[in-house]
Amino acid sequence: MDNAPTRPSRPGLDDLTHSLDIPLERIAVEHADLVEAIRRRVVEGGPVPSGTVPVALFNSAI
Amino acid sequence: MHSRCDLSCDHCYVYQHADQTWRGRPVRMPLATVRAVAQRIAEHAREHELPVVHVVLHGGEPLLLGAAGLREVLAELRAAITPWTRLDLRMQTNGVLLDEELCRLFVEYDVRVGVSLDGDRAANDRHRVFAHGGSSHDHVRRALALLRRPEHRASYAGILCTIDVRNDPDRVYEALLAESPPRVDLLLPHATWDHPPERPGPEPTPYADWLGRIHRRWVDDGRPMSIRMFEALRPGGGGTEAFGLAPADVLVVEADGSWEQVDSLKTAYHGAAGTGFDVFDHSVDEATRHPGVAVRQDGVAGLCATCRACPVVDRCGGGLYAHRWRTGSGFDNPSVYCADLLRLIDTVDAYPPPTPPASGELSTISPVDELLDDLATGHGSASTLALLAATQLSITRALLAACRDGSGTTPAWELLVHLDQAAPEAIRAVLAHPFVRPGLVHRLHSSAPPGVGAAVDPLPALAIAAALRAGVPAALHVPVRADTITFPALGSLVLPGLGESAEVTVRPGEFQVRGGSVEQTVLLDPVAQPSTGWFPTRDVSVPGGRLLLEDGDPYRDCYGQPVEPRLDGPAARALGRTLAEAWRVVHRDVPAHAAALDGGLRAVVPLAADPARPLRSATARHAFGAVAVTPHSDPETMAVLLVHEWQHAKLGAVLDLYDLVESGQAAQIRVPWRPDPRPPEGVLQGVYAHLAITQVWQSRAATDQGDASANAAHFLAWTRDGADALLASRSLTAAGERFVGQLRHALEETRAGAG
Repeated sequence: MDNAPTRPSRPGLDDLTHSLDIPLERIAVEHADLVEAIRRRVVEGGPVPSGTVPVALFNSAI
Repeated sequence: MHSRCDLSCDHCYVYQHADQTWRGRPVRMPLATVRAVAQRIAEHAREHELPVVHVVLHGGEPLLLGAAGLREVLAELRAAITPWTRLDLRMQTNGVLLDEELCRLFVEYDVRVGVSLDGDRAANDRHRVFAHGGSSHDHVRRALALLRRPEHRASYAGILCTIDVRNDPDRVYEALLAESPPRVDLLLPHATWDHPPERPGPEPTPYADWLGRIHRRWVDDGRPMSIRMFEALRPGGGGTEAFGLAPADVLVVEADGSWEQVDSLKTAYHGAAGTGFDVFDHSVDEATRHPGVAVRQDGVAGLCATCRACPVVDRCGGGLYAHRWRTGSGFDNPSVYCADLLRLIDTVDAYPPPTPPASGELSTISPVDELLDDLATGHGSASTLALLAATQLSITRALLAACRDGSGTTPAWELLVHLDQAAPEAIRAVLAHPFVRPGLVHRLHSSAPPGVGAAVDPLPALAIAAALRAGVPAALHVPVRADTITFPALGSLVLPGLGESAEVTVRPGEFQVRGGSVEQTVLLDPVAQPSTGWFPTRDVSVPGGRLLLEDGDPYRDCYGQPVEPRLDGPAARALGRTLAEAWRVVHRDVPAHAAALDGGLRAVVPLAADPARPLRSATARHAFGAVAVTPHSDPETMAVLLVHEWQHAKLGAVLDLYDLVESGQAAQIRVPWRPDPRPPEGVLQGVYAHLAITQVWQSRAATDQGDASANAAHFLAWTRDGADALLASRSLTAAGERFVGQLRHALEETRAGAG
């Protein structure tokens, strides 16, 4: 079963910088874990809420 | 899918190890069983609103189903599951039967194929042979060559390589690298305490030594391919079935429809993977309640005492579950590879050695700490800002790739891929626009749950925007929303009657649009009067370059408060003048913060006026590079808003990378700047913004501007009290504690400097 993708934790700094050198068409294949980690953390929430940050409202008090 | 195989590998855990249940199972999974499996998965995805399901087609050898049989299976799975979740389809094969027809099928159904290859010919043929003893090496290499073809490359997942320490690690590494795999999985041969692995020499950790040799080659070569074992063993490297403490999330369906635990258990004893459940009568939830699955949900608590006490338990996670088996104590043991794993983790950590700093004094600071320490000064260096901007761009590119995953290859995607090679700067400029990410996130969000109308596909407009920047002729159909097409960072075309989609043709210096009853040519001459319906995005010259006044992009509406519609000419020019002057004020007051602004702020969004709250500003997590403000004529005030918001933008980018606040924190913290308690992340954002504002007012106080000293003292107290409250709340991660601690230190230095 080791063909299953890695369970992503968070996008890694090395992976993020390295993927900038990978052609767009190969990112999903060669950085499948990174794409999955970003999808979970950025799109689906994960430990970070998506959408606006709470400070957007907080800022109205400045 | 198919419980027989056309190879006869003597290390195969399905046929050659303890479990022999394959003998009583159907040769292939009947289509009715496939249908039942698909329905069970779909049911589970629907009930739990899963964002993604991974399905790996295995055997035996799944290609024995043939192209027609596989097409039936793939069609069943896609039809049943994709209405409810994203289906990530994969296959593991020996590759012997792979041909062009099958490759086309896998591309059509977006199946990613892993191929088993144990290295060079000698290594591969040590185990991977036909029943007559003949070599499979040429067959497998031919299969890999097929997958490498550009038209099939998207279906090339990588290579699965089972280790045999008698093989030459350098030759194995070189053979794998020669196949240009996107990823390599190095597998320890399945073994248990009852049947320990082969250790042919006197060395106590031959597997770690063998893998360590490959690790060194891989690092020295600049990590030319992904090797999952090494990446997974790094600190924070993420879990796999073999490593890490993540809960087990794998179930197997056998050819007869039985639910089974992870199939590597077949190495332990006959029937070890069985659950007694099947897809016809039992749901996924029922199968996961089996004690063998449930015990693997407990993380470190589910491991033996030796593992629980081990300092690297978070890295190996006790190793593969099957490798812990010993008759008598069951799975309550360390891995039979424990000594090798421990040594391998040391090897991965020790190579490459840390680079000594120029001063010659050994540095023990990690890249994470280095970045956080730099930002905790209040501003951050140019290189840190460049790094944050690069990570944001990388995230956007990954989101773009994820969008392609969802919608398949489209003409827009093909144009983006072409321009990525032919005009990378144009692609970079478009994707760095702050409101591209919100558009992609919106698209990905809305495409996940069924029954909800999908968001407009943002890729055609992105591709055309890049073609326009690059001056590359192109033509695409672009979705129209409310009679408007927006090309990120370039402008919006508003033409009533365009319909739902328009054909856009890019020519040198212009583009033509045809849609509905409308046909229009738009000239892109920056000094000429804009063509009818074309509203170019305006910009203003600032010390950091060109700052966009973004009042047209629909995805700018991401601040939780109304944004201003397009400003008229005088209002835009007035806001531009204020921003340019404010930027100069930042340079005057706090040059270090100005350099950070120069390094990343690219767009300002006007917020809608509200007489009750005339002075507001905002930052959005998904829109790095932009801030939103209410148009205001005083550059001194605007300067404070810019510095304040840019702190949030920087910290937001950091929070995309690192957890500074413990997840699931329900704690609310009292802060001096609001009457209501705030969540830890809000306090962290507030403290970081107020540190910068303290520095602004202290600088102004030095030239004795009115109440600057009082303001400086005011913000200093807020920042100090907020930071102390955060540190006392115990809601921060180790990285968060370090960041706030360093920030507190910067605050003391600020105070000393002001004194």
